[in-house]
Amino acid sequence: MVTCPGCALLCDDIEVVVENNRIKETRNTCRRGAARMKGCVNRLAPSVAQKPDDIENAIKKAAAILQNAKSPMLFGWSNSTCEAQLEGIQLAKKMSAIMDDTSSFCQGLLIERILQKKFRTCTLDDIRNKADVLVYWGSDAQDSQPRHLSRFSYFPRGELRQRGYEEDRIAIAIDVRESNTAKICKGHFYRIPPKGDREFILALMDALSGKVPAYEPKKMLELAAILKKAEFGAIFVGLGLTYSIKDDFDILIPLADKLPNFNIMPMVGHYNMRGFNEALFKETGFVNRVKFDGKAIHDSRYSIVEALRKSIDALLVVGSDPLSSLPRSVIPHLANIPVICIDPCVTLTSKIAAVTIPCAVSGVETGGSTVRMDGKRVELSKCIESNYLNDKEILARLMEAL
Amino acid sequence: MGIDVGKYLKSPEYEIKITTYRDIFQAEALECDRFGAEYMKHSACLVMSKNDMVKMGLKTGNRVKLANNYGSVVVEVRESKRDEPGGIAFMVNSPWSNALVSDETGGKGIPEFKNITARISLVKDEATTLESLMGSFRK
Repeated sequence: MVTCPGCALLCDDIEVVVENNRIKETRNTCRRGAARMKGCVNRLAPSVAQKPDDIENAIKKAAAILQNAKSPMLFGWSNSTCEAQLEGIQLAKKMSAIMDDTSSFCQGLLIERILQKKFRTCTLDDIRNKADVLVYWGSDAQDSQPRHLSRFSYFPRGELRQRGYEEDRIAIAIDVRESNTAKICKGHFYRIPPKGDREFILALMDALSGKVPAYEPKKMLELAAILKKAEFGAIFVGLGLTYSIKDDFDILIPLADKLPNFNIMPMVGHYNMRGFNEALFKETGFVNRVKFDGKAIHDSRYSIVEALRKSIDALLVVGSDPLSSLPRSVIPHLANIPVICIDPCVTLTSKIAAVTIPCAVSGVETGGSTVRMDGKRVELSKCIESNYLNDKEILARLMEAL
Repeated sequence: MGIDVGKYLKSPEYEIKITTYRDIFQAEALECDRFGAEYMKHSACLVMSKNDMVKMGLKTGNRVKLANNYGSVVVEVRESKRDEPGGIAFMVNSPWSNALVSDETGGKGIPEFKNITARISLVKDEATTLESLMGSFRK
């Protein structure tokens, strides 16, 4: 059995069939996990100034770029092992660099509060064994973490939930769109307008307090009744909810306080985003957006989006594709600074990078530690041999070259 | 042969709200080949309710231009297989949807990935390719 690096569920029940040092077949994976483990068609090659080069030169050139930069930024990290993340933090400290990861525009707001213990939380194993009411809020797990319902939440026969979804569990979806997850939550789908989550939360808090809510009173009272009866509930917070209440995120705290039997779970996409958040939090007290300058300074101007627009003069990207995942309007800023890209595959970002450095695929060609979406540490295995350096080794060499 | 008058007439333009979502088939295609046809098929696409499509005179397979102050893309329209009430259309999160997202975040660092307003109009152009989205940023 090996662990899948496809998403932050880090499913550890995967079987792989290896033939001629390639993964020919995977068993128990979802579509995304299988595709990740079988590998991309376009492997990245080392290059300098858009011309093929050897890896030693690429690392040397990358070090020179970082050394010459007055305000370098190190970004990515959610698809790197914990070991590489720690190396990256040391590199950022050494260079007095800005450091951010994809949680900056993903689930960072929630993970920070979970690590600060502002919410009750639990493990996915607790959910499998005990949970009777599951709320997917702005989260389409069926498409983003496809084995969430089958391994951990709705369908398994957990210790205290032997009758599974047929009798022992209720799944609820609150979403703008009738997602594939909402389809499963038959009869318990609450459709809200875009940006309607705040109003929904306020109405639900009224209903939980015995007041008649101003918004959809009948449905809200019905939902409140279900939630109040829960013995062990979980609210799975997806990006739909996080983005909708990003300007007033702490509104979730009084709601959680009104639901003492519920736990809050961040629905994380990238397999080790939480690992990075925990490592940086341990080092600095913040989960993302820091500048190392003697001490760690945390500010939203050190978020990737704001930093790209304003303050950085070199960017190291590790295991991420900001050109693909950020607004296109921010991208011209990338064209004005040297970009160094460390990735197993050709990405949009690698296509404009001044230096590209290929690395091994974690969980396939190299092992390492990771942190699941619920905070449990999970080890990745090495399934096949590879000549590629892993990202920790590349970062260590960069550190040496500096 | 008659003159195709239609090609000289500008298609009506409507305002549309778009939210983004994730799709496992697109995620699979991304892992395999983000420059491939399969990834584009799942990404360069706008899913609309039947009501909105009728109102705007659109059919599945039509191509539409989506434009706002931040960018524009041409994507294919598909009718939602869900019972959508309308008033909002859907795109899988991708460089195509991100072309319509502002980098202005009010200093907060989180763009409005899921809250897009754009003008929509029927066009005959081909869907925007990743190459052309990238084009102007190549060094």
